[in-house]
Amino acid sequence: MTTTVNRPDQPGHASRSNDAGRPWLIVAGREIVVRLTNKSFIVSTLVTLVFIAGFGGFSAWQSGRSSTTTVAVTGAAATQLVEQGSAAATKADDKVSIKPQAVADDAAAKAALTSGSADAWLHQQNDGWVLTAKDAPDSAVEAAIGAAVRTQALSTNAAAAGTTTAAIEKGTVLTTDRLDGQQDDSLFIKLASLAFSLLFFMAAILFGQQIAASVVEEKQSRLVEIIATAIPLRALLAGKVLGNSVIAFGQVVLYGAVGLVAVAFTDYSRLLPSLSAAVIWFVVFFAVGFFALACLYAVAGALASRTEDLQSTTAPMTMVLGVVYVVGFTVTGTALKVVSFIPIVSVVAMPGRILSGDAAWWEPVLALLVMAGFAAVTVLVGEKIYRRSLMQTRGKMSWREGLKSADA
Amino acid sequence: MSQDTSTATGAGPRSGASHRHDSQTDDIEVRALSRQFGEIRAVDDVSFTVKGGELTGFVGGNGAGKTTTMRMIMGVLSISAGDVLWRGRPITALDRRGFGYMPEERGLYPDQAVLDQLVYLGRLRGIGTAAAKASVTDHLERLGLAERAKDKVQTLSLGNQQRVQIIAALMGRPQALVLDEPFSGLDPQAVDSMADLLREHTSRGVPVLFSSHQLDLVERLCERLVVLSRGTVVAAGTADELRTQTVVRHRLVLSGDAGWVRDAPGIHTVDVDGGAVLLEVLDQGADHRLLSEALRRGDVLEFAPQRPSLSEIYREVTK
Repeated sequence: MTTTVNRPDQPGHASRSNDAGRPWLIVAGREIVVRLTNKSFIVSTLVTLVFIAGFGGFSAWQSGRSSTTTVAVTGAAATQLVEQGSAAATKADDKVSIKPQAVADDAAAKAALTSGSADAWLHQQNDGWVLTAKDAPDSAVEAAIGAAVRTQALSTNAAAAGTTTAAIEKGTVLTTDRLDGQQDDSLFIKLASLAFSLLFFMAAILFGQQIAASVVEEKQSRLVEIIATAIPLRALLAGKVLGNSVIAFGQVVLYGAVGLVAVAFTDYSRLLPSLSAAVIWFVVFFAVGFFALACLYAVAGALASRTEDLQSTTAPMTMVLGVVYVVGFTVTGTALKVVSFIPIVSVVAMPGRILSGDAAWWEPVLALLVMAGFAAVTVLVGEKIYRRSLMQTRGKMSWREGLKSADA
Repeated sequence: MSQDTSTATGAGPRSGASHRHDSQTDDIEVRALSRQFGEIRAVDDVSFTVKGGELTGFVGGNGAGKTTTMRMIMGVLSISAGDVLWRGRPITALDRRGFGYMPEERGLYPDQAVLDQLVYLGRLRGIGTAAAKASVTDHLERLGLAERAKDKVQTLSLGNQQRVQIIAALMGRPQALVLDEPFSGLDPQAVDSMADLLREHTSRGVPVLFSSHQLDLVERLCERLVVLSRGTVVAAGTADELRTQTVVRHRLVLSGDAGWVRDAPGIHTVDVDGGAVLLEVLDQGADHRLLSEALRRGDVLEFAPQRPSLSEIYREVTK
């Protein structure tokens, strides 16, 4: 035997790779690959994307649909009214057009309605006009022709009374205005806030549970013993949290981007600038908030000793997330201002405030810093409990025990 | 007295290695190791050495403290008192990173393919991806699992999962091996392959510690034994050393009745059955006096030391 035999580790060490110093990267890499190759993850992501894109597509189709209404008329007066109405309707919405169709008599008009070659029939009855349709007339057409009828009648009546339409109408118009110069988009803001809440709630619960499950999987199978002899537990925790955060973050960026593109196709596209800002802030808040939660979920996994224990060890987070979810779209006014600075709640509340335009530039920055501080604390405390409880194999531990216990 | 072949003097597998300085040897040394679980002292002042190039069998009943000791050696359980030394100095996390370890309870990622997760575990130990892949592929072939490389672990039988677990410990030229019950659940053929694999590691100077309930297997494979009972080491050494430590029994068969042996001085009679006696020699020279007396009384048909089996020794030291 030669002396080389006496140093069995040397050839081994020679082949040790460069990432030996960054084992958390290897762990994160595995977490990402496992998640990305998970069929149910891919399917649920695609379904959500289709849902978001579908919303935009449907809205776009709805608003982009151009309609032409054919109105059967029997005389010049009716033709003129329809033409006036058409001009008004097209001015209000260029996708709506109305065109008159001259028919011989009332019977022919009815026949045209029945056969569908005309959508409505404008005719005189007593001293007024009647718009007859097969069923309910189109509201836009009704409004346009109604306005034309009223204008014409007004001008006729005004002439008869020796005055003008303008004189009669003077002072009758009510216009609305807002001091902030904005339009009323409260419904949209509510919906967007709900979307933020829902997205964060779903992603946090879903990925959080996955992190906890993967931690307990390693603990239950004692695979963690093999891993713990190879790398520091801190690196295992870091890799796990990082890998899952990257996936969750990537998913929410994808959803956000598709959502913004979808909104661009809707009537709310004029809100895109403020919505984009809110979405970008949401994504940033999400990243930091999720990181903090991911760490807590990993601890929840370490506290459990079997998959069955997860429900109780993750209960605190589930509860907090439930509150965040509800608070995110129910709280208003001063309360909203306050909660928008509370870590985790701010993920949902602050982007909502940014969207409604009532947050000063420094407010999201401050809220983000507060949450970053919170995340740092959860990472530090979480790492400690994780390390202590992961090697603890006898039964489930409570959070309190996890904090108190000595190293295994 | 009996042949002292494979002790620390450098005979056997470690021949030629004796020029090494003591602090340089690839030994795992456990010194006065203790572990307290609340009121219970699971491991109490345990000391032994696993020498480089030797297979050391770790024997003991359930709850004797084998797993607790191995977990302390591997650093997955904190030590209440005592030290674990590697090459004569306190062991570090980096040292352990180069160790192959097989925990008591088996488990792998059920949803991940065999090859993928073994390469992953190898990379965590600092083996490069290519080297890990090569080592895993080689081991899979040797353990007859080459075709299952791409299968998910959960689709494998328990015996095959066990083999995958073994590969996780043995791949990539570990500098030491600590294996908790590596043979349990293996069929005889797999036991042989496993034994061959372990021999390859000891032949390149690696210390191997493995625990087992199968005493015959331990006797067949191991250079050394450490017997643990209720948290303490009750015997340690080569199988032959253990035999000399226990009182040797002799079997004496006479032509006539052997009842008189009960009264022979310096002799403890274990059992008398007609002309056959099972006895222990307590005083030096008492066996000569006994034999003279027996020849004086008649014919001696048989007088021979009973070579105790390891399980007899085991029962003796752990009782």
